[in-house]
Amino acid sequence: MKPRKRFAVLAVCLVLLLGLLAGCSGKSGGNTDSNAGGTSGGGTGTPTSTPSASGKQIKITFFNTSAEVNEVFEKLFAKYHEVNPNVTVELIPTPIGGAQIEIFQSRLASGNPPTISNLDPSHIYVYRDKFLDLEPVKAKYEELTLPGAVEGGILDGKFLGIPWTAQGYGLLYNKRALEEALGGPFDPSTIRTRDALKELLDKVQAAMGVPPVMIHGADWSLGAHYLGALGFSLQSRDMNENLKYWEDVKAGRAKLADNPVFNGLLDTFDILKEYNYRKNDPLVANYELDGQDFAKGNAAFYFMGDWLWAVIGSMEGRDSEFGVLPVPISNNPDDYGNGQVAFSHPKLFAVDNSAATPEEQQAALEFLEWMLTSEEGQKAITEEMGLTMPYKNVKATSSNAIAKAIGEYVEKGETINIGVINYFPTDYWAKTGASMQKYLAGAINRDQLFQEVQAYWESVE
Amino acid sequence: MKGKIIWKNTGLFLLFAGPSLFAFTVVFLIPFLVGFYLTFTKWDVIRNDGSFVGFVNYVAVMRDKAFWTQLWFTIRYVFFTVIISNVLAIAIALALTSGIKGERWLRAGYFTPNLIGGIVLGYLWQSLFSRVLPYLGQKYGWALFQTSWLTNTDKAFWALVIATSWQLAGYLMIIYIAGFTGVPKDIVEAAKIDGAGNFAILRKIVLRLAVPAIVVCVFLSLSRSFLTYDLNLSLTKGGPFNSTELATFYIVQMAFQSNQYGVGQAEAIVLFVVVAVIALTQSYLLKKLEVES
Repeated sequence: MKPRKRFAVLAVCLVLLLGLLAGCSGKSGGNTDSNAGGTSGGGTGTPTSTPSASGKQIKITFFNTSAEVNEVFEKLFAKYHEVNPNVTVELIPTPIGGAQIEIFQSRLASGNPPTISNLDPSHIYVYRDKFLDLEPVKAKYEELTLPGAVEGGILDGKFLGIPWTAQGYGLLYNKRALEEALGGPFDPSTIRTRDALKELLDKVQAAMGVPPVMIHGADWSLGAHYLGALGFSLQSRDMNENLKYWEDVKAGRAKLADNPVFNGLLDTFDILKEYNYRKNDPLVANYELDGQDFAKGNAAFYFMGDWLWAVIGSMEGRDSEFGVLPVPISNNPDDYGNGQVAFSHPKLFAVDNSAATPEEQQAALEFLEWMLTSEEGQKAITEEMGLTMPYKNVKATSSNAIAKAIGEYVEKGETINIGVINYFPTDYWAKTGASMQKYLAGAINRDQLFQEVQAYWESVE
Repeated sequence: MKGKIIWKNTGLFLLFAGPSLFAFTVVFLIPFLVGFYLTFTKWDVIRNDGSFVGFVNYVAVMRDKAFWTQLWFTIRYVFFTVIISNVLAIAIALALTSGIKGERWLRAGYFTPNLIGGIVLGYLWQSLFSRVLPYLGQKYGWALFQTSWLTNTDKAFWALVIATSWQLAGYLMIIYIAGFTGVPKDIVEAAKIDGAGNFAILRKIVLRLAVPAIVVCVFLSLSRSFLTYDLNLSLTKGGPFNSTELATFYIVQMAFQSNQYGVGQAEAIVLFVVVAVIALTQSYLLKKLEVES
């Protein structure tokens, strides 16, 4: 008798609790629905959410995947609040190299997306239905930015993200270390073929006594920057041709193993591998340490980009002059890629269109314009973050020596448009990067590498 | 009269168990049920389309070879972690109940790793394995440590096992200490008078009477190491070339990096079943060894 009674009590409690919870979940479910309705309602920005505070106070949120500069952004937000007391910008920080996009997804799934998101173009492309079409401000930004920058923010035919930073990468070199090894001045324009590169590396290795090339053994560097971006972007100078080739690879109509660009790229990779400073343990991939060894001249070359400045810019005892070489993929100096360095707009500001009210969107656009055109904003981005702004008449100069070297290629128009990667699925660098790591460590040969990478692309929808 | 008692009991029950029951329901039961439901739909964040697709996701799990490889990797990892952490914990607990000097301080010391979060702990061991040990290895010519342990699949496996065991041992130690001090002194004394050696006392009396503690500890270490995520993330990040992704890590990658929520969630359910079956079987089997003093 007694146990049964206790059981009844328990059951009653459970029912009560579940009822309570059902009430809660029912309510939140309703909210989500109304948001979803707004989304499918199209890009007109119908005010579906509750009218925000009756006063003029507007709070907008800023989701940041450039985690290393969280604090600079926060300072800018505070400054903007001083100028515009009605608008409060709140940072949604993400950890460096950690779960960034997961935070964005959970925000989106819970119907509470950030007003402004600083994201990779490929992520904006994936969530393109959730963002505001920035057509109304496109002409303004075409005026403000350098040629090509606005195109970097056009995804699927729509201007979805405002470009604010430009990055380039290639085979960086430490000028002092290199010239000491060569015993004289170095002219980067002499390296336009694979053989010339090999000869140079050979000479430098003989002089320095160690393999002179730093290869950062991380999946993003190997899978995204080296194999994926260069391989698909060097197919043609026309990005649409590159996209078409990529479609062919996915459909299995084109085989990477038969492609001269991919083979040429890996022939060069074999040479870099041979002269790898971290030959003994190629996959350690310690970003700080690799940067340090390059900045101090222990390794004369580094396959990396100008974002490295965030790590080496403030380093004690580093060298001051750096240059960049293209990664030659053949022995014909005129081939596309042998004289160019990769250049892209890696992060874009996108404005939410799934839950934000028109007022919030307006406030967000005004804030972005202030940040990108005011002296405070430009100073913070170029000087404090050490980034290159693809804008005309920037009122501050960057201290980034690598960006300067890349800027010389940009001025001459000698850049590789790697826009094709914006359409790649978000896990491609991790998957193909793992195969490249195996190849770098010598765990698989080139046939197996092509097999794995081809299999991955064919598995993509 | 009877009704009054029932209400009083209910109130008391709610007072004490209500908060935790509420938390359990909100953060565990409901997400679990919703998650289970999601495995039968093709829902994801992008499309927000929750239409029913039946067992498609489970078929995809069956076909996902990488998942089964990493699940087997996880089971091996759990096997060694449970054994090493428990043996270590028993050894420490025995040493620290034998009445040596500074017992309290040592107990606190061994427990400390538990107070460090998994992420921090992972970075700590990461710099140890990839910087300190290779440095020493190269300096003194120890072949074992000349390259980083984290760049070789087999060594990275042991790095994970060692780091987890180190963290878990302190926690388990506390439970074992409680278990060992609960062993009645008179029995031990009687055994001594009968001429039993230290090892015989340990094996036949102390450990037998501490079986409840062992059951708890094995269960805890089993479930905790099966669900390791943060340490995996910060220590090896699944590398080299994704070979050290533990099941939870793999599932998170599947859901959030590859945007395959349905498949990822279905894999999480498979993992849940595996953990539940193993954990319940072992505690059922070990419980049979329990004796009364």
